[in-house]
Amino acid sequence: MAKRRPSLLKELHPIQRYGLAVVSVAIALGMALLMQRYSLRGVEFPLFLFAIALTVWFAGDGPAVLAVVLSSLAFNYFFTEPLYSLYIRTTELPYYFVFILFAILLTWFSTVRRRVERELLQSRDALEREVAERTQQANLLNLTHDTIFVRDTSDIITYWNRGAQELYGWTAEEAIGQHSHQLLQTVFPIPIDEVRAELLRTGRWDGELRKTKADGSRVVVASRWSLRRDERGQAVAILETNNDISDRKRREEEIRKLNDELGKRTTDLEASNKELEAFAYSISHDLRAPIRHMAGYAELLQKNSASVLDEKSHRYMMTILESAKRMGTLIDDLLGFSRIGRAETRATTVNLDLLVKDVLREVQQDIDGRNIAWKISALPDLYGDRSMLRLALVNLVSNAVKFTRTRPQAEIEIGCFEKNKDEVVVFIRDNGVGFDMKYVDKLFGVFRRLHPAEAFEGTGIGLATVQRIILRHGGKVWAEGLVDRGATFFLSVPSHGS
Amino acid sequence: MDILGRILMVEDDARDVELTLTALADYNLTNEVVVIHDGEQALDYLYRRGNFKARNNENPAVLLLDLKLPKVDGLEVLQQIKSDETLRMIPVVVLTSSREERDMVASYKLGVNAYVVKPVDFHEFVNAIKELGMFWAIVNEPPPGSIRKM
Repeated sequence: MAKRRPSLLKELHPIQRYGLAVVSVAIALGMALLMQRYSLRGVEFPLFLFAIALTVWFAGDGPAVLAVVLSSLAFNYFFTEPLYSLYIRTTELPYYFVFILFAILLTWFSTVRRRVERELLQSRDALEREVAERTQQANLLNLTHDTIFVRDTSDIITYWNRGAQELYGWTAEEAIGQHSHQLLQTVFPIPIDEVRAELLRTGRWDGELRKTKADGSRVVVASRWSLRRDERGQAVAILETNNDISDRKRREEEIRKLNDELGKRTTDLEASNKELEAFAYSISHDLRAPIRHMAGYAELLQKNSASVLDEKSHRYMMTILESAKRMGTLIDDLLGFSRIGRAETRATTVNLDLLVKDVLREVQQDIDGRNIAWKISALPDLYGDRSMLRLALVNLVSNAVKFTRTRPQAEIEIGCFEKNKDEVVVFIRDNGVGFDMKYVDKLFGVFRRLHPAEAFEGTGIGLATVQRIILRHGGKVWAEGLVDRGATFFLSVPSHGS
Repeated sequence: MDILGRILMVEDDARDVELTLTALADYNLTNEVVVIHDGEQALDYLYRRGNFKARNNENPAVLLLDLKLPKVDGLEVLQQIKSDETLRMIPVVVLTSSREERDMVASYKLGVNAYVVKPVDFHEFVNAIKELGMFWAIVNEPPPGSIRKM
């Protein structure tokens, strides 16, 4: 309530204020007269002074002057000789003078005091407002998940928010007053003098710091510092916000390690690819020559000694020649197969209808004189390397032609269905000799054959080649079959480029 | 070594040489063949230096070149020939075991006149050699400065 008093003075009506002067002087007079009746003399003077003081205090300067005048008149009229007259004897003039002086002094003191009190109250109000504001701000800072703390220029912590408590484990009570770098065992990436220099120059600094929590575990934080200066430009405090980036750093580190490993593996892979290429190259050059020589010299021997060789020797000679030739074919097939893995693919949109027509022309010589019922559906476009896809289809179609040879009426169907919007499945179905599903895993192996060479010729590289081509296209190959009931081969291939 | 021949054969493998010469014997071209066993000697022959200083200064009508050769390999010999003004007109036929694409591409880039993969089958081999010898030594009109048919 006290702080409302100076404003009360202003709120009072002038009539009330001057009335207060009249009433207080009247009360003082009444009390003095009452005292006089009980022969108590000499109290009128302090009573009037009290009334004046009361008026000054509550009603201000103007009413105080009125109170002084009224008091003087009442004093003159009721308490000085001649009584009940306003006549003033000259000998009593100093007495009045002292009274008025005293009253003025009292008024002056009271005014000064009131001014001082008003100023004090004002500054206290301002202080209270600021405290309220600061408290609110501090509470707001407590709401954030970010770690925020303030320290003075000698790095003593002066503010510590809840985020800081959550990250580092110390409460505000524990942290405030501690030396921040000692408490957190801060490790700087650059000398601390450089950090301070930048902070003083620009008012800011940010960087990555390593700190230690209350439980001893280490964290990496992205730290931002802001310098607070007072009105004279003196540095007074540093506000520091920290974000825990330990997880990010760990992930970055993991990614870096994985990349290193990947780089190493790529190098290894490149090296082994080179090795493979050198291997294929030397097979191509060196392995074929001895075979050629065997075949050549056996041929020459047969030619030169045809007359002396008996039937059996002649058969031996033929076997040597055939084996050499077969070896040559095997080597060529193997090299062709390894070339598929090494060659670059040139992917385009491939019209499958045209491609199948092209393939049928190629296998024409195996078809001649055969009774084959072809059933070929409308086929979609594929996305891939045309020559490789062609090779895959040639292999599958010639397989179908080959393995239906024993059928009086061969049936071969080429069709397709959409697996999803990105992939098309093409299938080639025949009613040939088929295979036992328990060997399905062996179908696509290099040089794996499910039939004796005498029954169906071939080196066993065809389906391995098909699989390799389709895998290089990011697709899949699979087969279904039944012994003597035909086989179906499926290829899933991308229908458009990614 | 003063051998006259229209066919210069650069081949390090004696068996291949024998088989080739056997094949060419059918056309009586054997005497026309000069056999060199490595790339360095082949260049010496063409530039008439070393052992071949004294040879006749005419160029062969065709060069049958193996790729895998001791010392200087076939592609280097080919490059040397095709970048030399006096030798570049000599028809060069690469005759090799290799079907490797990179050998084929490299040879054609250097300007080879033909690329033949030696077949494993003897009959095919003989036929290929016979046709080669027939074409380049007899049918084809060699560039000026080559050894003429006698």
